[in-house]
Amino acid sequence: MATSEEIMEALTDFTEQCNTNKRLRRMQRDWTKLLHYVATDTGDSFTMEVIEGEIIKNEAGTNGTPDVVVETDSETMCDMFWGDLNPTQKYLRGEIKVKGTQEDVMRIDAITAVIWPEV
Amino acid sequence: MSIIDEILSQTDAEQIRKETEHNYREYVNPFALRMFKNASLDIIEGKREGASVWDISGEKYIDCVTGAGIFNVGRHNPDVVDALKKALDTYDMGGWISIVRERGLLAKKLAEITPGDLKYSLFCCGGGEAIEVAIKLARGHTDRPEVICMDNGYHGVTGFALPATGREVYRKPFAPLAPGYKHVPINDIKAVKEAVTEESAAIMLEPIQGEGGIVPADDDYLRELRAICDENEMLLIFDEVQTGFGRTGKMFCAEHSGVTPDIMVFAKSLSGGLYPISCAIFTEEISDFLMAHPFIIINSFGGTSLACLVALAAIEYIEENDLPGHAEKMGARFMKGLSKLKEKYPELVLDVRGKGLMLGMEFPEDSIGPRMAYQLRQNGVISIYTFNNPRIIRIMPTLVITPDEVDFVMKAFDASLKEIQAQEDKLKK
Repeated sequence: MATSEEIMEALTDFTEQCNTNKRLRRMQRDWTKLLHYVATDTGDSFTMEVIEGEIIKNEAGTNGTPDVVVETDSETMCDMFWGDLNPTQKYLRGEIKVKGTQEDVMRIDAITAVIWPEV
Repeated sequence: MSIIDEILSQTDAEQIRKETEHNYREYVNPFALRMFKNASLDIIEGKREGASVWDISGEKYIDCVTGAGIFNVGRHNPDVVDALKKALDTYDMGGWISIVRERGLLAKKLAEITPGDLKYSLFCCGGGEAIEVAIKLARGHTDRPEVICMDNGYHGVTGFALPATGREVYRKPFAPLAPGYKHVPINDIKAVKEAVTEESAAIMLEPIQGEGGIVPADDDYLRELRAICDENEMLLIFDEVQTGFGRTGKMFCAEHSGVTPDIMVFAKSLSGGLYPISCAIFTEEISDFLMAHPFIIINSFGGTSLACLVALAAIEYIEENDLPGHAEKMGARFMKGLSKLKEKYPELVLDVRGKGLMLGMEFPEDSIGPRMAYQLRQNGVISIYTFNNPRIIRIMPTLVITPDEVDFVMKAFDASLKEIQAQEDKLKK
């Protein structure tokens, strides 16, 4: 089980990886979304705001109306933000629940594919 | 050793997979490869036969995608293969500036088997190109620019076809698109009436939306569309790319409603799964536009000698083996099984629908379509969600599928739904 602080730390690292990757920023330049992340075992939740491919905000709690909701246990969430697992594989096996469009699922996978191609 | 001998002589499945994945990663599309692998759809096809396909490693699957309706006559149909082999002894594709005997024979056959007074054929290679021909003919014939299409419809992604495809995600990155297209919800006659203006050239739709989620247009709706077109001197265009050649239990889906379009487009199964060919067939009245401009729509590879011979062989096979009748029977068997599964998994299965062997199962949320595709692969079936609506998994096997194979697919669906139900229950806890 991961703590709220650990998840936020992973989320911060993930944000830096994404925002400093020029290729990814260009690739995702038409992607503007509000995402909610919910840890099913601890109840912790986080809001991520993406504008034109840049993650401009991460905060605790679920704020605003999300385009995408990602639900999984806290450990998996940390692993996802640290690039220790392939989120799409987990999603297809029902271990990560994504409420949103299939296009958004592919965008999330594209992020992983660019910053952690070996995953 | 020639390149083809070299390729065909390779038998080490592991080596072939490694080499192919490398080539995809380096020279084709690394992200597509990743998606295939993630989704457990990274099958490299080896042997193909009837309703089945074998991965190069020897694993057998029932193909329920069939390229969205390419392989109606079965995978690697021996009769059609034989026709192509024989043709290759004499023919190449044929010259572009010449009169092609086989094209005339195929056009005559298509005029015979299509409903109503559809008569003249213009051939291309792919479905999108044939849709473009239909749109050009509609505009050329009527001298009006507007085409009314359906939300969530799919007509391909080429220049004139892309704006007709009813989903923003395909269109947005390529703006500005050709103007003159309006989209309305399917089966909403009021919306069509409101969309019609003096500038309307045509109404275009699939009799059953394929990528839109296996959504049949109601028979009464199609009849009303026919009436609207007649009243306003507009053309009715049916895109039968996925529904044609026996798929829905009739040779063409239009026959279910008795409505004949002015232009019908088909592709996919016309090729017998062996040689690309597509077609827009239209009435004599519309042909007047082409009489005045006989070479205004041309295509180097449309309706070549080889393509037409393959198409003739495929049609012969469909007729001699009554594939439409078989599709109707097997479709009924599927529907019986699918309806039972709907009762068994009420939280997961919202609807089952379709005609003949163009069937879909609807889920309550987007994620379940891709997850079903993943589970089905584990259970020996290849299927994929419909691209404009991931909540629907399609069941579009070859039309030569046997009753035992239908039952196998139903068992695979049952096992896959059981697994997903367990996943859902676990997530709820």
